[in-house]
Amino acid sequence: MSYDDRANARPSLNDESDVEEEALVNDYREQVNFDDGMSDLDRTTSLGGSQPQDLQAQLAAAATPLEYQATLETKFASYDNYCSLFHYILNSEGPVDLDVPSYYWAWDVIDEFIYQFESFCRYRNRVARSGSNEEEAQLLRENPNTWGCYSVLNVLYSLIQRSQINEQLAAMKRGEDPVAFAGEYGSRPLYKMLGYFSIIGLLRVHCLLGDFSLALKTLDDIEMNKKAMFARVMAAHFTTYYYVGFSYMMMRRYGDAIRMFSHILVYVSRTKNFQKGGNGYDAIAKKNDQMYALIAICVALHPTRLDDTIHSAVREKYGEQFYRMQRGGPEALPVFEELFRSSCPKFISPTPPDFDNPAVNVDPVDHHTAIFMDEVKNTLFNPTIRSYLKLYTTMDLKKLAGFLEVEPDQLRSWLLVNKQRSRQIRWVEGGLLEGESAIANDLDYALEDDLIHVSETKAGRRLVDWYLRNLTRVY
Amino acid sequence: MVAFDKCETRPAHIDAILNGLDRYNPETTTVFQDYVAQQCEDRTFDCYANLALLKLYQFNPHLLQPDTVTNILAKALTVFPSPAFSLCLALLPAHTQPFPTTSEAQAASQTSDFVESVQKLSQLSTLLESAQYTQFWSTLNSDDLYADLTADVAGFEELVRIRIAVEVGKAFRSITADALEQWLDVRGREALVKFVADVCGWKVEGDVVRVPTNKENEARSEVKSERVGVDMFGRVIRRGFEQAA
Repeated sequence: MSYDDRANARPSLNDESDVEEEALVNDYREQVNFDDGMSDLDRTTSLGGSQPQDLQAQLAAAATPLEYQATLETKFASYDNYCSLFHYILNSEGPVDLDVPSYYWAWDVIDEFIYQFESFCRYRNRVARSGSNEEEAQLLRENPNTWGCYSVLNVLYSLIQRSQINEQLAAMKRGEDPVAFAGEYGSRPLYKMLGYFSIIGLLRVHCLLGDFSLALKTLDDIEMNKKAMFARVMAAHFTTYYYVGFSYMMMRRYGDAIRMFSHILVYVSRTKNFQKGGNGYDAIAKKNDQMYALIAICVALHPTRLDDTIHSAVREKYGEQFYRMQRGGPEALPVFEELFRSSCPKFISPTPPDFDNPAVNVDPVDHHTAIFMDEVKNTLFNPTIRSYLKLYTTMDLKKLAGFLEVEPDQLRSWLLVNKQRSRQIRWVEGGLLEGESAIANDLDYALEDDLIHVSETKAGRRLVDWYLRNLTRVY
Repeated sequence: MVAFDKCETRPAHIDAILNGLDRYNPETTTVFQDYVAQQCEDRTFDCYANLALLKLYQFNPHLLQPDTVTNILAKALTVFPSPAFSLCLALLPAHTQPFPTTSEAQAASQTSDFVESVQKLSQLSTLLESAQYTQFWSTLNSDDLYADLTADVAGFEELVRIRIAVEVGKAFRSITADALEQWLDVRGREALVKFVADVCGWKVEGDVVRVPTNKENEARSEVKSERVGVDMFGRVIRRGFEQAA
């Protein structure tokens, strides 16, 4: 089936608009290789021929998941639908008035757009890797630019720029009126929301591509608190914290990752009853469990006192695994790997795979797991070191090496590694990438030749609370 | 701390590209490549900019220059312990398999020089990140390929040696000269005395190197007390007034 046949096979659009749209889509395809993101916005073509009910169908379709068994043809057609829709929204003469199907349409459409991009890339990679379906491989080979990373990023960046959302958010941060910075497009709720959720979408796309620092950088203008706009849409709230937390984790800022996961998990545990049975509850429940697994990994790598409700939930869901990871040593390795694989984002490779050499198409999830596991392996003996040193104020290195049945040289390396990992960058204020170096551990030590001096930072008695409580009781 | 996306030695034109959409423009690849070469020469390191170049390679695989990638990785080795190296690996094509586990993956390294280089550098990274400095030097000296991979990075060995010394200084108050010689790969007592005196300002007394006390190696026990502020008593004080009235 040629590309034209597929495009014409779409039932929801009449013939006239098909032709016009076809031209637009082809136009779009030409830019796919590279586009600086804004050049297409100068064009003034629009989807004038489209009738209202067709547009409504298109709007609804853009926010609706594809069927699980959707064929490649459906996936191509869906991409075309997005292209024409975004082209219409971005490149008409002036802002368009859309009667969107629901209040959360803007979030749903961005969410679904990225989800389809993600699953298309993974599917394409899988077809190339297994090398079994020659027909589909051929079709994918002929359409290398469908769901291309440049066009996906182009859509998101264009929506952000059109709505001037970053300028609006920056104004809000300064305490000024965002409307003054919104411009013709950004002052309309639809454009504003599309722009806003495109920022969250970018966070997700960068993370899926393995660019964790850029993912965090993307949120520079968004303040992470409950008053943020994303907090009004549960799924958006959730997604944001998952990807921010995960990006922190990959930057080895486990303290910050734990803070992010805890924040959202506490929030969800308090609002659970409202969510049950609601739309997308299953998806949220799954992500919820993934975040508990990630928090367990972070705490194992970076011992932290958790919020009580989070702690008991982690123990309830991952008790045995949590215990094994916290104990460390080689037996913990498979647990780390298993939990990481089941709770990491579904990483993608942005470029078409090599269909001729199935073996070179490694699953990106394997790639990122291997990188993460290298760090886990390097720090595998930190728990052992800590558990011993907690018992002493001074200790002879050779004696401890004897206890652990390792060479003194090996123990010196472990001590250095544990010391290094107990220093972490922690966010204090400003952008998400900022932070100060902090001692992340209450246990510290220094070596004088072979003598290990151990010191512990203890929390003093907390008296203010006690005093206040009793004061109110007395009078 | 300087934020991850900032770099004091970054020129203004690079900063402008990084903050605009030109960071995706394949034409800026050459600008970033020159910048990597410059970092190699003048011993600076800009992780965030190098990641932007690796991202351009990720999107445009035909532009990928293996030498530039290995130079970026070699530069990232000189800032251990840090996530820099693994963040760079994350943007490389998955088929490079930096940490091969199967014999199949190892076999792949024999078919591609690039894959072999990435795997070799990753091995060095593991040794540095796990503080096995003696093995790091013996591995580095075991194969001429390593010399080729680090040749473009001016003062590679010197930079790594300084990083090791810094890490030692954070954990040790004193250390035997023999052990430090092996970790730093300096041959002979005289060379060691000179290195620790010139670079770190430490003294060697007999067979022991003394590290002056610093914030990291004093390991003082302390009791963290809670913060007590007047604002915490606001409600009590207000109630005192209200009831009096």
